[in-house]
Amino acid sequence: MAALGSAGRETKVRCAGIEVQVRRGGAGTPLLFIHGEMGAPGWIDAFEHLSQSHDVIVPSLPGYGTSERPDWIMSVNDMAAWIAWFARDSEIVMPVDVVGCSMGGWIAAEIAVVAPEFINKLVLCSPMGIKPREGDIFDYFLESGATGLHRSFHDPEGCAQYMKYYGKELSPDDHDRIEQHREMTCRIAWKPYMHSLTLPAFLPSLNAPTMILCGEQDRIVPLDAARQYAQGIAGSELVTIKDCGHMPELEQPEQFAAAVREFLKR
Amino acid sequence: MQRQFFFFSEMGYNAYPDEEAEKYGYTALMFPNSIFDAATARDLWQMFLREHEYASEMGFDGSVCNEHHNNVLSMQESVNISAAVLSQRIKGSIALIGNPLPIHDNPVRVAEEIAMLDLISNGRIISGFVRGTGIEQLSTNANPAYNRERFEEAYQLIKKTWTVPGPFRWEGKHYHLRVVNPWQLPLQKPHPPIWAGGILSPETIQWAARERITYLVLGSALDATASCREIYHEVARQDGWTPGPEKLGYLIHTSVMDTDEEAYEMGKYHYGGTSAIGRNRGAGGQEFQKPPLGGALTQGTGSGGTTGGPHPEWAAPPGYISKRAKAGAMARERRMSEGDYDSAVRAGLILTGSPDTVIQKFKHIIDRTDPGYVTFWAREGKKPHEATMRGIELLGREVIPALREHTSALVTGKEVTPWPH
Repeated sequence: MAALGSAGRETKVRCAGIEVQVRRGGAGTPLLFIHGEMGAPGWIDAFEHLSQSHDVIVPSLPGYGTSERPDWIMSVNDMAAWIAWFARDSEIVMPVDVVGCSMGGWIAAEIAVVAPEFINKLVLCSPMGIKPREGDIFDYFLESGATGLHRSFHDPEGCAQYMKYYGKELSPDDHDRIEQHREMTCRIAWKPYMHSLTLPAFLPSLNAPTMILCGEQDRIVPLDAARQYAQGIAGSELVTIKDCGHMPELEQPEQFAAAVREFLKR
Repeated sequence: MQRQFFFFSEMGYNAYPDEEAEKYGYTALMFPNSIFDAATARDLWQMFLREHEYASEMGFDGSVCNEHHNNVLSMQESVNISAAVLSQRIKGSIALIGNPLPIHDNPVRVAEEIAMLDLISNGRIISGFVRGTGIEQLSTNANPAYNRERFEEAYQLIKKTWTVPGPFRWEGKHYHLRVVNPWQLPLQKPHPPIWAGGILSPETIQWAARERITYLVLGSALDATASCREIYHEVARQDGWTPGPEKLGYLIHTSVMDTDEEAYEMGKYHYGGTSAIGRNRGAGGQEFQKPPLGGALTQGTGSGGTTGGPHPEWAAPPGYISKRAKAGAMARERRMSEGDYDSAVRAGLILTGSPDTVIQKFKHIIDRTDPGYVTFWAREGKKPHEATMRGIELLGREVIPALREHTSALVTGKEVTPWPH
């Protein structure tokens, strides 16, 4: 077990069919965080903020971080089923508050469609999963991992978390990790690229209180995707963060955490 | 076996304006097809097919064709159509190198087309299979992360289609067919010879050795080709058999003219590292600097070293290439791009010379690798038609007859023919 900051701890556990890397910290009601296509780079500042009020649980999805990559995960729906299995094996009491970022938001929405009893409150942050009516989701696979990461921020060089995890001189191991994440994303979201053809039709079935959160300057997913989520999920609210790109959890960690905490507390 | 000699040309669209290539910095995948001119392409087809025909007339044992997509360096968007046309224009074998299996959602269609070709050509088909470059995966939307799985499953399905009486059902991981029962089957039994082409992925070489099929080294330097042979033979040793020369093919850039000097000049059309642009111009070492596509932060992950001057990310999309192979391919790419034309010639990446010089170079190659199939990549880029035809004539009349007589030092135990200086 490794310390990750004042609150976070990292462990490797055997559950849900594989060896899983889990970061966890804080006290309070559990909050399950589902990371996006770039993985969770560490115990990020946003986790630290959230851990002041919550027991923040961050599994690395199969094929991400140091979690094992099984051959039997071939779709985002498989990831959704895997998260449900992970939660049961980890004895997380349901319903649980869930925050999903980017592709993790898509996974969270798929869970909410199939298992409404799983989720207490739902935060979808810059969620993938819906095809925008105008514009396209940025195609990560036509450019390098570094380019995709850079583009995920409104002001990467001005962002401490970007500089800490991605803006530094990357080691060969860092590059390998980025490529590993891209490959896993390829495995599950290659075609149709980063969206579901059926999810929009199922959104009205969602009954969890839902907040959709995104950066105003998202250059990865056009904002229309978030609008469609907001229109599809009855009673949901759409909140935008200024001076922020596709990764509010890294680019504006305080605002991100404040918005999440405020929503969950209501 | 009697060593066989083939002619190869990418049959590329060499008529695009250099300044357009410079503007974009690449000539594959997203190089806009508004630059394409149909009338020019029509004329190029006639020229390229005439060159194949002439190689056949000059005594080559066959022709080799291939397939690329969204790529100026090859107008062959269907290797099976190329093969169909060549079967009506040349006398010898037609080697397809090959059908890029992973891009197909129905591999039985490939089995059907090869069967048709084998029947129409009276059994002259060699059926090569390849994984396709990264560009092929992106241009056909074939998931690169499953490239190798799809390649191997499609291969097994095609082989079964040719050898096991139908109807049968196929429920695999990537392919699902209710009824496999194509009416036409190949003339050659149990099926046409199968080749696997590659640019040094160790996994493909080992796989080919386990399947006991011919591995064709695509345009690599001599030392690397010798290593490929070693990897193949090592797997064979473990499996308890000894491969003959028919298990190794060698495709190599070759520029033969009447004098060493002329051949050296014409060889420049074959040089360009990973850039189509250099080759097209015959720049002979003026490696084109590709601007990064995504801004200053684009950090390449290493190209598969393909034709077409691709952006490195397109040559190696996620999961397409293993870490181990990437190290090998990257090393190879560095050798190509860091060196100049002279070093490419010295390393044997491009063979240039008069017939006597090239005969000696090839004797050296045969002594060290003993390939059963030698393919001369003898036309490239904007190399003039007349020079190409003269090269074909010299290869056919002088080089090939001399090399047919040469037995490898690997067989005779004699000294390796020295490389000419």
